[in-house]
Amino acid sequence: MSLSRLCRVVKCDLVKVQPSSALVSKLWGPCTVREVSTSCTQPASIAQHSTKPDWNRAVSEAEKIVGYPTSFLSLRWVLSDEIANVALHLRKLVGSNHPLLKTAKNLIYNGKNNMQAWGLIVLLVSKAAGHSPEIPDMEQDKAAGVLHSQRALAEVTEMIRTSHLVHKGLVNMNSRQPIAAEPDDMMFGNKIALLSGDYLLANSCSELANLRNQELVELMSSAVRDLAEAEFLGERDEQNNPLPSRPLPKEQIQEATEWDCIVDPLPMGGVIGCAGREWSARHVLAAGALLGKSCSAALKLAGHKPQLQTQGYLFGCHLALAWQAFLDLEAFTGPEPASFSLVGAPLAFTLEARPELYEYIEAGKKSVQDVDYHALYTAVLAGDGLEQTKRLQRSHIARAVDVLDSFPNCDARTALANIIVAMHHEHL
Amino acid sequence: MPVFCVCYAVHILKRFVAVVAMACLSSSRLCARVQDKLLCQFGHKVRKQTVFVKLKPPGPSPLRIFGKTCQRVTTCGPACGSGFTAAGVGRRLASSLQSTSTGSLPDYGTQIVDPYRLLEDDLNGIYEDIRSELERNTNQPELNTIATYYFDGQGKALRPMVAILMARAVNYHVYGENSALLPSQRQVAMISEMIHSASLIHDDVIDQSDFRRGKPSVNVLWNHKKVAMAGDFILAVASMMIARLRSDDVTLVLSQVVTDLVQGEFMQLGSKETENERFAHYLTKTYRKTASLIANSVKAVALLSGADESTCEVAFQYGRNLGLSFQLVDDLLDFVSSAQAMGKPTAADLKLGLATAPVLFACEKYPELNPMIMRRFQEAGDVQKAYELVHASRGLEQTRFLARKHGAEAARLAAHLARSPYQRALEQTTDLVLNRIK
Repeated sequence: MSLSRLCRVVKCDLVKVQPSSALVSKLWGPCTVREVSTSCTQPASIAQHSTKPDWNRAVSEAEKIVGYPTSFLSLRWVLSDEIANVALHLRKLVGSNHPLLKTAKNLIYNGKNNMQAWGLIVLLVSKAAGHSPEIPDMEQDKAAGVLHSQRALAEVTEMIRTSHLVHKGLVNMNSRQPIAAEPDDMMFGNKIALLSGDYLLANSCSELANLRNQELVELMSSAVRDLAEAEFLGERDEQNNPLPSRPLPKEQIQEATEWDCIVDPLPMGGVIGCAGREWSARHVLAAGALLGKSCSAALKLAGHKPQLQTQGYLFGCHLALAWQAFLDLEAFTGPEPASFSLVGAPLAFTLEARPELYEYIEAGKKSVQDVDYHALYTAVLAGDGLEQTKRLQRSHIARAVDVLDSFPNCDARTALANIIVAMHHEHL
Repeated sequence: MPVFCVCYAVHILKRFVAVVAMACLSSSRLCARVQDKLLCQFGHKVRKQTVFVKLKPPGPSPLRIFGKTCQRVTTCGPACGSGFTAAGVGRRLASSLQSTSTGSLPDYGTQIVDPYRLLEDDLNGIYEDIRSELERNTNQPELNTIATYYFDGQGKALRPMVAILMARAVNYHVYGENSALLPSQRQVAMISEMIHSASLIHDDVIDQSDFRRGKPSVNVLWNHKKVAMAGDFILAVASMMIARLRSDDVTLVLSQVVTDLVQGEFMQLGSKETENERFAHYLTKTYRKTASLIANSVKAVALLSGADESTCEVAFQYGRNLGLSFQLVDDLLDFVSSAQAMGKPTAADLKLGLATAPVLFACEKYPELNPMIMRRFQEAGDVQKAYELVHASRGLEQTRFLARKHGAEAARLAAHLARSPYQRALEQTTDLVLNRIK
């Protein structure tokens, strides 16, 4: 699928977007919604593309373009003392239902949400943007078309993300509810989870230090800070699972603060209680900041101008948000799931339209398991939450594609476009 | 006229502080020791103030400003004079009054220099600075609360103190008498305390401790996931501060600290079979968990000073030996000190299944400790039995001997630097670390 084709897809999708509903346009300043083009030929036939681009194929083809994805599972890792140690201890945890096991499983088996895709995006952006001719040959991976430093950066991105997921998987032993399983097992699991996460974080620290670029260290450290902040935003149950905030009537929402500085912490003005903005803030902190900052850092390493670095940040950020919207929608495409994310965009929009539904959320104050998912699921399907989420996803995709257009046409750009299209098409 | 008023006010405040300090701190043993030591050096009045300064590390309490006004000008290097503000003038007048009352400038060659007093101006407000740095970096109130919890000024602030002391000593060594403390060096002092606290916070979750520094530890008060994230947050902010120093070498040196801390923690998970291996394992672990932070942060300040390679190496080795000595004393105190003095429970290491130096030494005389070490004191009565055997053996004595050896080595290394009050204080710090009771 070529980029021009993708653009047409996006363009014709945008026909349906009402400019006023582009909530996100507020976030990044006035969003340049593309001209509704009437010249778009046969919109219907493209939208209902018969051979659905397969996600896995898009990813595996992209991996070939930049050589191997990253060196995350390279021998160096398998042979590391500490990882061997963790593996040994993980075996003791088998059968204990500590969430660390699930995290570990997700790390190994590929899914749409796997971490390697993140490093892959960073490498693809690196390759698509190219690098300044002054960079000596020694520092380039000629075959893959990226710099060694960029590969290291992609690895750091994955390590930071993994470390965050592992730390997120701790069990709160401090809750008022009795812990179901053996407390000793849980304690031991927490110990291993905390240490493994710290190990990854420490390694990313030294990898970053080795790049000898202090602006880059500052940028990436701020991404770690953002991930930590993400775990504090809004209401939480006793296991720190996020709950949406009570939707506020329009006149009670604080004035929104611009999100214009990348390194400073994300301003929280006007976030809580405002469905779209709260969703964006949550996922910018939890995902967008890391991917955006990594893309920006990759361009920095290649010697690109600050302006392009900012574009890189926006690309990563919007892509992560589009990705998140895609994951949020996924729960509503197949058969009804037993549970789904309570902070997903479809539910957020539904709650905004019907604030009385918030009483279902309040039932989950102690544990998200106490929530009546079926009632919420029905309410989401009945309202226009899914439609709004799709619009949200499209607007983020459009913003990401805008940036992509500024890169020269090459295989890496096509691969990025393919990934976006694959994500886009699954819900059409 | 305003100067007069300030002067008078300072006088009144000084008396008040001295009385308060005496009243609330006279029971402490440390206090008594410091008093004894200083009694022969200074007059009665100075002694009171020293006690106050010693036991009141820079912190958020309102008394801090009094502490500042009590400061004696004699400790100040030529470069640290403050501007001509009203307080500055008042302070200077008060100080000059004081130095006339105690005679001429003290001769640092023979005198005991209390490093905390010597660096009072530099250490002043260091916790406030850390707290505001953290606050600047988050818009989530709860994260701010957890992250700043241990920066309440109740800690010993040993790491920042040693870092600043080394910074001033090396600056003096390289640039002579007119050298000042660089802002970047003070940043490193803050960073060292932040990395230390981040690791304490994660340790608290891992070890499920109840008390630290005389108050409930973080894991008792908050959700463990949030506590873990707060630790990551402090590390991230520290790492941003490191990056802002814009020195590749300093970043590399300080990133080594984080790697060492984690590797040390991993070493603590396992135990070694044979006695020889076990002791080497223990020492490596101690270096990584404690000494590396001190060694690398003093190396970082030396690098920032622009010192040559050999001076940086002296700084590093000084920090390494001081750190080892510090941790050995810590392990010793776990057996002899009371829970009240430490601000945390004692025999904690045994309860956590850790065999520290006193136990490893005691093993030579009582081989029955070996199986207990291997099973990490898990069986009923193990902790009590081990505790008694350590006291029956010469383990505590040998641990102190080893700590003293490392302390002496640190002092020997400090002698390589040019003579200055700070260099003297570096030597004194080794004694301070050895003789502490908490």
